[in-house]
Amino acid sequence: MTHIGALVGIGLGCGLLIYLVFVKVPQKVKGLEKTEELNAILPGVNCGACGYPGCFAYAQALSQEPGLVTKAPCSMTLNDPERLEQLEKALGITLDASELGKKAVIHCSGNSEIICDYSGAMTCKGAAQLLSGYKKCPYACLGLGDCVNVCPQGAVSIDPQKNVAIVDQEKCTGCGLCVAGCPRNLIELAPAGTKIARLCNYQPLRDIPGREKCDFGCIRCRKCIKACEYEAIVWNKEKAIPEIVQEKCRLCHKCIEACEHGRLIALTKSTEQDLIPA
Amino acid sequence: MDGGAQEMNELIVIFLSMALINNFILVRYLGLCPFLGVSKELGPAVSMGIAVTFVMIIASLATWLINHYILIPFDIQYMYIIVFILVIASLVQVIELFIKKTNIALYSAFGIYLPLITTNCAVLGVTIINMMGSYTLLESLVAALGGGLGFTLVLAIMAGIREKLELADTPRAMKGAPIALITATLLGLAFFGFVGIV
Repeated sequence: MTHIGALVGIGLGCGLLIYLVFVKVPQKVKGLEKTEELNAILPGVNCGACGYPGCFAYAQALSQEPGLVTKAPCSMTLNDPERLEQLEKALGITLDASELGKKAVIHCSGNSEIICDYSGAMTCKGAAQLLSGYKKCPYACLGLGDCVNVCPQGAVSIDPQKNVAIVDQEKCTGCGLCVAGCPRNLIELAPAGTKIARLCNYQPLRDIPGREKCDFGCIRCRKCIKACEYEAIVWNKEKAIPEIVQEKCRLCHKCIEACEHGRLIALTKSTEQDLIPA
Repeated sequence: MDGGAQEMNELIVIFLSMALINNFILVRYLGLCPFLGVSKELGPAVSMGIAVTFVMIIASLATWLINHYILIPFDIQYMYIIVFILVIASLVQVIELFIKKTNIALYSAFGIYLPLITTNCAVLGVTIINMMGSYTLLESLVAALGGGLGFTLVLAIMAGIREKLELADTPRAMKGAPIALITATLLGLAFFGFVGIV
């Protein structure tokens, strides 16, 4: 009997100890309530996409500087309206989910000519290892869907006619899995709200211009740079391709008109507001 | 003076024996889960080792007291395994809760490792070895410190080797777990060289 009593006593003692520490030890760290509150709102999967080592560390950073949410947003929270509303309430900031976070952009129009019959492993990774792929342009999207397979949101699909991957900007959460999955490094995580995207990634350096490789390739004419009234397009010397400065773009679409080969496309619909110069 | 020197000698022997000769991971095969799980990078490996050392010392203290003031007087030493598991698990929870409330920097430094150790067999192992060897309180604490530091040492060595192995050109079938286990074997053989030091 004493044996059972002693064992039960140990068990109760352990329980009591935890209870006492839980209730009696004062919360000495200040500001932790806010962190705990934010931590409860965040998804808690510790994916690290925000740039912090985990949701708790992110909540801690947010509690000190609420403005951080626009610089390093949590894409999982942005895609969950319920969480987003809670986070807005907790931080006292209104957030526009469509303007925050990142979206995948694919830099290829898929018009490069197919130069041979490929019958190997039906993955981009496999095809990319065979010389320079089965398309004429060594930078072209192979369209075998490695990015489709890795996308957890089903946001990427393959255009069956052009054999090129297309991102549904509405569904994309900017997780970046497709960026890692693409053997051609064609996919870029652009800030959400990206207005104009370049549809060619051909980097000739001392090589022939992209026109030789594909009818829609960039021929380095730089007409788009000249056409832009807001200096929103600059020349990237390193890659020898035009880069679009999204902050300066006013969506006048003059560059799209200027480009004869349809390499630039508008990702967002232009609104009256966008068209008014600052 | 002579007795004191002998006692000191005894403590050094216990420390070396726990840290190197009867190393928890490589010789006793305890705590293998963190050995393979947390040994991919040096930083987390050392954090884990320090957390284990800390918990081992605290657990040794608590179980020594419980053993001597509850289990032996009530003659229920045969229940030691269940009692020790219960005590260690609740102790780790209490420590975690306490640190979380008082020192957030320390809490985030321990991170996930503290709760992971709750049911680590190396921690239970050190308390049982203390009991079986009928060590005094000081001896148990030294044994726990030695065991913990030995654990940290092996984890750090393993992490260092695995960091290099990531870059090495290992055959495809050997990549990942197989080469890690072979490394562990060779490390174990090396540690058997310590047998006979004392």
